[in-house]
Amino acid sequence: MALKQDPLWYKDAVIYQVHVRTFYDSNGDGIGDFLGLEQRLDYLQELGINALWLMPFFPSPLRDAGYDIADYQSVNPSYGNLDDFRKFLKSAHERGIRVIIEMVLNHTSDQHPWFQQSRSSQDNPYRDWYVWSDTDTRYKGTRIIFLDTEMSNWAWDPISKAYFWHRFFSHQPDLNYDNPAVREEMWDVMKFWLEAGVDGFRLDAVPYLTEREGTNCENLPETHAILKEFRRRLDEQFPGRMLLAEANQWPADLRPYFADGDEFHMAFHFPLMPRMFMGVKLEDRKPITEIMQQTPEIPVTCQWCLFLRNHDELTLEMVTDIERDYMYDVYANNRTMRLNLGIRRRLAPLLDNDRRCIELMNGILMSLPGTPIIYYGDEIGMGDNVNLGDRDGVRTPMQWSGGWNGGFSSADPESLCAPMILNPIYGYPAINVISQRRTPHSLFSWTRGILAVRKSSRAFGHGSIEFLYPANHRILAYIRRCENETILVVNNLSKTAQAVELDLRRFKGNILIEMSGKNIFPRVGELPYLLTLGSYQFFWFRLRKV
Amino acid sequence: MREMIISELMQAVQELARGFARFLPRFVVLVIIAFVGWVIAYLLKQLARSILRLIKFDRLSENAGTSQLLAKAALPPSSEIVSRLVFWMAWLGFVLLGISVLGIFGMQEQIARFFLFLPRLFVAMLILFFGLLAASFFSRATLLAAVNGNLPSPRLLSHAVRAIIVVLILSMVFEELGIAEQTVLLAFGIAFGAVMLGLAIAFGMGGKDLARQFLENRFLREKEERNEDELSPL
Amino acid sequence: MLDETPTQERSAAPRDEVVLADEGFLPDDFVRQLINVGEVDVLIGLPTHNNAKTVGAVVAEIQEGILQWFSRDRAAIINPDAGSRDGTPELVVSASIDDVRRSDARRFTLRTLHSISTRYGTSVARGTALRTILAAGELLRARATALISADSTSIKRDWLRALLKPIANDDFDLVLPTYVRHKFDGLLITNLLYPVTRAVYGLRIREPYAAEFAFSSRLGSQFLGASPWNDEAMKEGCEIRFTLAAIAGGFRIAQSFVGAKSHIEQRAADLVPALRQTVGALFGEMESHFSLWSGKTGSQAISSTGAEHEFTLDPQRINRKRLFEMFRSGVLDLESVFRSILSPATLEELQRITGQGEDDFEYSAELWVKTVYEFAAAHHKAVINRDHIIQALAPLFRGRALAFILENKNASAAGVENNIENLCLQFEGLKPYLLELWTGKE
Repeated sequence: MALKQDPLWYKDAVIYQVHVRTFYDSNGDGIGDFLGLEQRLDYLQELGINALWLMPFFPSPLRDAGYDIADYQSVNPSYGNLDDFRKFLKSAHERGIRVIIEMVLNHTSDQHPWFQQSRSSQDNPYRDWYVWSDTDTRYKGTRIIFLDTEMSNWAWDPISKAYFWHRFFSHQPDLNYDNPAVREEMWDVMKFWLEAGVDGFRLDAVPYLTEREGTNCENLPETHAILKEFRRRLDEQFPGRMLLAEANQWPADLRPYFADGDEFHMAFHFPLMPRMFMGVKLEDRKPITEIMQQTPEIPVTCQWCLFLRNHDELTLEMVTDIERDYMYDVYANNRTMRLNLGIRRRLAPLLDNDRRCIELMNGILMSLPGTPIIYYGDEIGMGDNVNLGDRDGVRTPMQWSGGWNGGFSSADPESLCAPMILNPIYGYPAINVISQRRTPHSLFSWTRGILAVRKSSRAFGHGSIEFLYPANHRILAYIRRCENETILVVNNLSKTAQAVELDLRRFKGNILIEMSGKNIFPRVGELPYLLTLGSYQFFWFRLRKV
Repeated sequence: MREMIISELMQAVQELARGFARFLPRFVVLVIIAFVGWVIAYLLKQLARSILRLIKFDRLSENAGTSQLLAKAALPPSSEIVSRLVFWMAWLGFVLLGISVLGIFGMQEQIARFFLFLPRLFVAMLILFFGLLAASFFSRATLLAAVNGNLPSPRLLSHAVRAIIVVLILSMVFEELGIAEQTVLLAFGIAFGAVMLGLAIAFGMGGKDLARQFLENRFLREKEERNEDELSPL
Repeated sequence: MLDETPTQERSAAPRDEVVLADEGFLPDDFVRQLINVGEVDVLIGLPTHNNAKTVGAVVAEIQEGILQWFSRDRAAIINPDAGSRDGTPELVVSASIDDVRRSDARRFTLRTLHSISTRYGTSVARGTALRTILAAGELLRARATALISADSTSIKRDWLRALLKPIANDDFDLVLPTYVRHKFDGLLITNLLYPVTRAVYGLRIREPYAAEFAFSSRLGSQFLGASPWNDEAMKEGCEIRFTLAAIAGGFRIAQSFVGAKSHIEQRAADLVPALRQTVGALFGEMESHFSLWSGKTGSQAISSTGAEHEFTLDPQRINRKRLFEMFRSGVLDLESVFRSILSPATLEELQRITGQGEDDFEYSAELWVKTVYEFAAAHHKAVINRDHIIQALAPLFRGRALAFILENKNASAAGVENNIENLCLQFEGLKPYLLELWTGKE
């Protein structure tokens, strides 16, 4: 099965976010690697995903899970080498799976040779590659992102006897994008990987590329200009490849990153994600519909990227204080779960391992307009370990079987890159791939099923959305439309059974066909359409006029 | 001559005796009927008294105001009167029945007419009773409404209402008894035409919209004064 | 946030079925709207009838109160309307907060707030309005319900906290308000309802008849199921019946200070209806609760939050002459009626005091207590039509009001409170007299 040649392939994609480090260890050193990942491609193909997003695998001191890069054109030796990577990439493409890799543009590790050079002296040719200052008072008013660890965006470098700018950890100095040399070098880096065959980049932390005095140093026009330039070259030299923006901003501020279809192809819809969680706890669709009302229209070639969880904390930056307090109280009662204005828990523990609720959240993820991302392990309902520092609690090794190290690695358990989850509820004896593949009603089987249903219609990836506002506020209902396909999605956000009357008069005469069982439901007439839904139940109906 | 007188006399006496002898059995029957009647009437009186006690007739008549009237006239209480009335009516009935047996000419007709009259008398008594009850109720309602609505001369209004209702009742009673029907009807019609009755009943019923509007219009002048000078009871 | 108090089994279970299965007491459309609301933690009942002038502000304060004190709780506003023609229901419904309306001036809220209105008839029937709210509360499983009056113009958002938090957090069943009042405001309450409720039922409830109060689901269900709703009697005076039902049922009662009492459209001419709704209902309920109150002596304080009473003393112009005249002419004109109700001694004393001058008029506490108790007993025995007995009380109340005003003309707040307390003690002290009259020869 070869790759589908479609310039808009990312609109039909279902992305699986994985870290090679914790997926599968093929050589028994306790750390996952590319050969191991390649061996597990069959599993991913069976699941039904068609794109992989790899977390950073470049050489790195690993003080920020690989986002502190020390060499942009190599592979961290723990994971293998460039040949291993190419082999994996080829296998993935053979299975029709595209590969998206991380490209951290904004900053490097302080171990990167460029920085080592830059700090060595004022006259060094690399000096200007980073943002240096004699004082730490420039760009006042810029917010600090890692509130729990950093006190300032400037760090003092004793070697260089000057301050350098870092929006993230102090060991991740920001590159200076006002320097054309930096821009050219970064393009060369991207070109290197594109030539290797990579299908797209997730560009990390793009709002922060440039700084200007008197601004908040985010989303500046200069930044957009730089990004547009990258895109132009990409379209010119590598058509069909994709750029995905990681920009944790309000929807209105995200819109510029799509520009007129000449900047990013995709961007994460950060504000929607916490509101989905809020919706099921409040049992009220209001947070979800309101953020969608505020979401601007984007060019037809562009696409939102939707997700429930990822490798970071469940960020509560883009919510009001009232909402944040509420989310903390209901989802992270234990203060250790809170980090950097977010909650560091996996999907299943957040939803109290309620299978129906997990299914509902996935159902909403798959049916709202955008490309869904599944975080590795969430398809089997993995748990987390809040006792691990930072955000490592959600980055534990994949659980393949009930045996030695959960089937992740043959190394000693003590030497694993991260400890396995062991408790009776989420531990690998209870939650693992082998068991779930054998069980037709497991979460894995269910996820595979729903991905298949989603694939059966273009409306999910390409269609418009129109919300219905039934008087029962616990029901989230919307119409997805594409060419001649119309799909009605009805979700019960409440734990209790609900009755809802939908105004479907526009679709009078249509028969509803429930998409997973394919059974027909009553035809739409003049009267309001009455549906009853069980706990956390949802329906996807195809509307068909015979 | 003397013999003629004696024989006439003897004849007359014999006639008388014969008449008497004819009459005597009937008289005895009368006495018997009267006696039986007395017993039955007595029983009925007791029965009536019990029934009246059961339905708390005294209380009702107190409400009707008849008790007060009777008390003023130094008469025994109403239930007593009614039971006695029952007694006398019943006994009278039997006596009359007995007299009719006597066969005295003309009496029969009168007695028959009397018996026909009894039901109407009974109905008339009922009308009177309940009428007095109603009059008492409405006059008191009027009195209270007038007092609380600060109308002038509430007692006069109250008596007026009572009077009108009593007049209505009396005319109905007289009509029922068949006494001076036409005269009474006419007189009543005139009184009834008076607007006062309509107003009084409306007030007595608790002041419907029309009455309220009337009051408001009547007292509009005073309203401004009242608005500032009264505090809410609740 | 409402505490999760452990759920208590309701004992009124069998009754629920009867009420809910009643022949369509609630209109279909209203039931459909209730389905959409689902379950709530807090319910606000707001009966209306042509209140367009005041209801807008009231509803705004209610909304603010919910958003401030119950932002995380599910809440709804239920509006039983008696067929208003001035757009009152629309004003109430506009307080809904949901995602359908996309107005830019929307303030942020966590949850949807439903505000639904239903028409229950064509004229005001407070009993039916209350019943609608109770039925809705039961269907929505509201844990705490507050009843607010549509013309409470002085309402502030804190009132909801004062009334509802004791229900939600401290497990009370009924919370009545206490107000800041002018010392001569609400004399029917300070001189009759409060002392009589206190003496008869043994609880010191300052405002047994309140325009706004809050209650728990337990009490609401009990009242809904146990009351004879089709009785004529329930149409009037359901509020005070509610309070008395709570007392009789042994429910936990508290009072909470809210603020200033507002008055709209309540004038002297409203005295008789006020008497019917309060004193009439009170005397009526005393009938059925006899076994409960006959044995009680003295009185107990109830749990109070905030001030129990506060008096403002600003000078008020009161038409004392009119009060005096109405009292005097009342005693005179209603003599025949009073003869059936009052004892000869009391009546004589009343006639004596009509002879006093307006400025040194005195209607002593003791005389007033005897008057009220004799009326209560007469009402119990129904010596004449009961409604007439209540109407006959009006002029006597006016006399007492005048006497109270004169007595407290220059009194401080403490002085007024003292006098009220003394009156209450008199009522308590003469309770045996009431019992004697009540059970005396029929």
